[in-house]
Amino acid sequence: MITLAVFVFFAVLALAAAVLVVVQKNAMHSVLYLAFAVLSTSGLFFTLGAEYLGAIQILVYAGGIVVLYIFVIVIVNLTEIVPERRPLLAKIVLVAVPVGTGIEVAYLFLAKGFPVEARPGGGPGFRALAETLFGSYLLPFELASVLLLAVLVGAIVVARKKNLHDPD
Amino acid sequence: MIPIEAVVVLGLLLFAIGFVGVVVRKNLVVMLMSLELLLNGANVILVGLGRHWGSPRGAILALFVIIMAVSEAAVGFALVLAYFRQKKSYDVDALDDLKG
Repeated sequence: MITLAVFVFFAVLALAAAVLVVVQKNAMHSVLYLAFAVLSTSGLFFTLGAEYLGAIQILVYAGGIVVLYIFVIVIVNLTEIVPERRPLLAKIVLVAVPVGTGIEVAYLFLAKGFPVEARPGGGPGFRALAETLFGSYLLPFELASVLLLAVLVGAIVVARKKNLHDPD
Repeated sequence: MIPIEAVVVLGLLLFAIGFVGVVVRKNLVVMLMSLELLLNGANVILVGLGRHWGSPRGAILALFVIIMAVSEAAVGFALVLAYFRQKKSYDVDALDDLKG
């Protein structure tokens, strides 16, 4: 019961922060609400019994990605507020279609119930997670490290100031 | 005990909000942020299903989604910086060079 209450608390926080990320005019305010949403999601992971993922979420998202966003906004001095020039009808349609689709699927789930019964015994522990990750999922794990290396090199190459007269 | 329907519905709503942000906003940085929200919604569903089935695969898939999100953010920001150097703007409407 307490777990459910904590879950609902974090769920409401995450949803409110997510909506605020989208509707803010100033990008810096959006980043702050994004940090809020990410930390709430990490709380959701903890209540769902995925402690490892919650910790990763705090470290990588709140400590890495949000700081990266703040750096970029400060570096490029994002003071220009991009005007939303879309007509009102297009905006309403663009909001209504994804939200309507989400509500439709949610309604189907709630009306019919989830088709698969829960397995008793709760979530998997750390040991099962580690054994599966470094057993069956070893190849994707190593490929992910190669991907991160490629991203590191690629981001530096793309973001570097180009000097045409200097070959390096 | 958290009902699985609540987890799936919450993930769907987060996904829908992120999708709205990507489609509606015209600020490149805010679009990237909404993309992170969208991936977070998918992660919530993955973790919930992993717990529902008592399998660690949900958390592992969510871990790979996080790795992918980090890569996407890093490359996306490199592109935003390069783009800003060219155009001095964040408006995606300035990206119409190939329209002919």
